[in-house]
Amino acid sequence: MHRSLLRREILPFLFSFLALILFTILIDAALHRAGLVAVGRWLGIPGTVLILASFGYSARKRKLIRRGGAKAWLRSHEVLAWTGVLLVLVHAGVHVHAPLPWLALGAMLINVLSGLTGTWLLQRSRRRLEARREDYRAQGLSEAEAESRLAWDAVSYSLMRKWRTVHLPITVVCGGLALIHVASVLLLWGWR
Amino acid sequence: MRNPLQILAWLLVLAAAAAVWFRPQALVEPGDLMPAHRSLAVDCLACHEPLRGVPDARCTGCHALADIGLVTTRGDTIRERGTAVAFHQGLAHPQCTACHSDHRGVQAYRPVQTFRHGLLAGDVVNLCAGCHVRPQDGFHASLGDDCAACHDTGDWRRARFDHARWFRFDRHHPATCATCHPAGAAAGYTCYGCHEHSRAGIRAEHLEEGIRDFEDCARCHRSGDEHEAERRMRDGGARRDDD
Repeated sequence: MHRSLLRREILPFLFSFLALILFTILIDAALHRAGLVAVGRWLGIPGTVLILASFGYSARKRKLIRRGGAKAWLRSHEVLAWTGVLLVLVHAGVHVHAPLPWLALGAMLINVLSGLTGTWLLQRSRRRLEARREDYRAQGLSEAEAESRLAWDAVSYSLMRKWRTVHLPITVVCGGLALIHVASVLLLWGWR
Repeated sequence: MRNPLQILAWLLVLAAAAAVWFRPQALVEPGDLMPAHRSLAVDCLACHEPLRGVPDARCTGCHALADIGLVTTRGDTIRERGTAVAFHQGLAHPQCTACHSDHRGVQAYRPVQTFRHGLLAGDVVNLCAGCHVRPQDGFHASLGDDCAACHDTGDWRRARFDHARWFRFDRHHPATCATCHPAGAAAGYTCYGCHEHSRAGIRAEHLEEGIRDFEDCARCHRSGDEHEAERRMRDGGARRDDD
């Protein structure tokens, strides 16, 4: 039971985050080795574009976009955000000079951890819901009774709602600091 | 937006934006400015231009290239002139920020070694001794000023000098400079002093073969192979590869 929890829930969560750090170190080391450190500086742009593209899921959820299934949009949100964060981390890994980029980077990493926690909570809720539903059916309960007993599913969903109340503010801080960072770079950095 | 955390998040972002606007040096400055520029610390746009960074004209407006290393920005003559600044007058395309980072935070990561010799105009790039101190060993002391014969600006420490053009090393003749160049001078060498290479023995052996000009051993003997000289003589006389 404990082994199953570790393998199915905790390890994938840790793997995703550790893979992010590992790939960052590997790409940064490869850029240093190839004498292409300056390339890392520019990776912040495609990274930001990918992260912005990942917000397509939020637009779909709020029905600003009506095409595509919710599951596919959620998957694209995870993949695009993970890849975008990887590129931004490589961009930051080259060197962070001032406090603001440090703050933006910290907020982004907290946002990633929060996002991975959300993914984990969602998968956990789905598994528990499906298991319970099958359980009630096997017990011969009517659909209405099963539904009422599945009232606990509100717990799961309320957990997700609670998580969203934390994840969205973290996203606002991360996005806001990133925006100020980009604005200050546009204002002060030499684009050559 | 009833979520108090969200309100707090927006307040944090607004506070950061206000801090950047009113005290940019607190959040976006990559380290303190160098002491001579401290007075500009609160005026980022004294050097930076939106979207252009620090244009060279902003630097040369105060630091005229012709004056660097000679006269201060206040017009005082610089008495102690260092060799490292002499090349500024010979810059074809000044690119100040390629070498200089006035913010200490950047300096730590991007020191002045990033100078590119390609910025120098015409023959200035060949006047190595104008900026670099000649190595103090006897080997370099015996050489001329043509550093580029062995070195290039890409990797100064790795010389492309090919000793095999004069003499090829082998296990009996290892690459220990002082064995053949006892005075440390690259231009001169001696083969005498090693086992049978005595002056008298070599003289006798060469005279026996009718060879009277034998002082420049490596002219014929380009390696430890004693028969190589015979083959070279047979094939058209002793000539250097670069003759």
